[in-house]
Amino acid sequence: MTEHNLDPKLAPEEITIKDVNKAYLRWHFANEIPHSFERYIAPSLLWALMPILRKLYKDDDSLRAAYQRQLLFFNTQLTWGGGVITGLMSSMEQERARQEYNNEEITMSDDLMYNTKAGLMGALAGIGDSIDSGTVQYIFIAIAVPWAQNGNPMGALFPFIGFALYQVLIGLFFARQGFTMGRNATGLMQSSGVKNIIELLSILGMFMMGVLAGSYVKVSSSLAFDISGRPFVLQDTLDTIMPGLLPLAVVLGVYYYYTKKGLKVTRALVGLTIVLAVLAGVGIL
Amino acid sequence: MATLTVFQSLIIALWVAAVMSRSLLGGATLTLRFSPLMTGLVVGIVMGDIAQAMVITASIQLIYMGVFSPGGTMPSEPAVAAAIAVSVALLGNLSPEAAIAVAVPVGLLGSYLYQFRFFLNTFIGKRTDTAVENLDHAGITRTVIWYPTLASFLLFVPLVFVALFWGAPVIADVIAALEGTVVIHILEVVGGGLAAIGIATTIYVIGRKEYLIFFLLAYFLSVIFASLGVTMVTYAILGTLIAAMFVLATSNSKNASPATTGSVDFGDDDDDDF
Repeated sequence: MTEHNLDPKLAPEEITIKDVNKAYLRWHFANEIPHSFERYIAPSLLWALMPILRKLYKDDDSLRAAYQRQLLFFNTQLTWGGGVITGLMSSMEQERARQEYNNEEITMSDDLMYNTKAGLMGALAGIGDSIDSGTVQYIFIAIAVPWAQNGNPMGALFPFIGFALYQVLIGLFFARQGFTMGRNATGLMQSSGVKNIIELLSILGMFMMGVLAGSYVKVSSSLAFDISGRPFVLQDTLDTIMPGLLPLAVVLGVYYYYTKKGLKVTRALVGLTIVLAVLAGVGIL
Repeated sequence: MATLTVFQSLIIALWVAAVMSRSLLGGATLTLRFSPLMTGLVVGIVMGDIAQAMVITASIQLIYMGVFSPGGTMPSEPAVAAAIAVSVALLGNLSPEAAIAVAVPVGLLGSYLYQFRFFLNTFIGKRTDTAVENLDHAGITRTVIWYPTLASFLLFVPLVFVALFWGAPVIADVIAALEGTVVIHILEVVGGGLAAIGIATTIYVIGRKEYLIFFLLAYFLSVIFASLGVTMVTYAILGTLIAAMFVLATSNSKNASPATTGSVDFGDDDDDDF
């Protein structure tokens, strides 16, 4: 058994940054394609890591076990979660392959690897979704909307190309970080530099949402009638109190609903549609 | 009556399938799915009126402002909505507001189709297990990449094609008959307010209640300066500077706090967990 395992033909090959880049790009491409109810996007992670696993495990049984290990339930966000975790898994699998080959005690156990993955995937998805999809994407879109309103195709091309490039770059960055930090990557999110960046992006996100709400939420009252011969226009009165009162009330109303009932987006969407439709139908909005 | 040609309907249907299968450049489909802009542009190119297509798409984009999918679920599919709504609006010379009337229901239906895709992929996943068992590397690639892509094309292409080729002229007529009635006013109001959903969702997911002051600050700045035509880039720079100042001030006060016991005024923000 020992002799068999120390056969140089079965020795794991060295994993380089180039391999990690390739793994990330495979992840980036496969990402949501095989999304299923059963294990979400786990097949993409497996497909991403295949070339690395084949370099590491020259023995069929070990390779099969590694494939199955990376095919367990997995769901996260494309760049923050996907980047860090592809890099991290590359590093952990490398250690596992080394331990198996040298017949050492396996400290890099299946459980440790899965728990690391599961512990990071939700937390990173939350940050990644709100910062990337929620904020950065909409900064690009908000810049481009006025061009689109003027009939310019750049209004479509600019946010698509800009955001797609941003995502590839930031994803590759996180994959490299995850790989070089190895198991320490779990501490990556606690480092003050990363904490400050998340802080800054969260504030920028809040700020840009304010600008979007002020610029693009259009709610105004169309209520107008005569009071003893003098015209009364409700919106004019509201404007003398504070311009933009109604749109702000709508946004904060939906936010308040989430804080009370949880993130029920579809319900909020249907509810707001009904409220606005009724108020518009009776002539208040 | 004006209709789309078979070729036009097919190209748009193939585009929608490429986006919704998530196979067109993989991760880059994120914006293609969340935003109607590129789909609107493709419809404009196919129908030969890019400028008007962009104007209509911009008005659809406004109702989906801030929409993304926390945790993978999205209440509406902007790309599917734009494929149908922009085609209908160009076909029937409809106003952008009327296009919203088409986009909202179609977008909701689209989200059911997207869920159905997960259902199909669940079956394909069984074959991935078999391929892994046999260490069939080409088989893994087939079941992870090609079969799910093919399944999505088989799901989206026929449905979108039918909706465009036979459905679009009918929808255009119905909407045209509604123009000038209270229905259009209602849709205008609803369309104007729906952007609140995406924005409130983002604020909630960022999850920092104490940072609502930055939201309010930006809101009032943009309302006050509305007539000045301040660009989004300017606001983004301003926002970055304000955020940087805040981070600088708080991290400095954190570093200094063990030494200087007296200055409590700055350092009263909690250690926030995520």
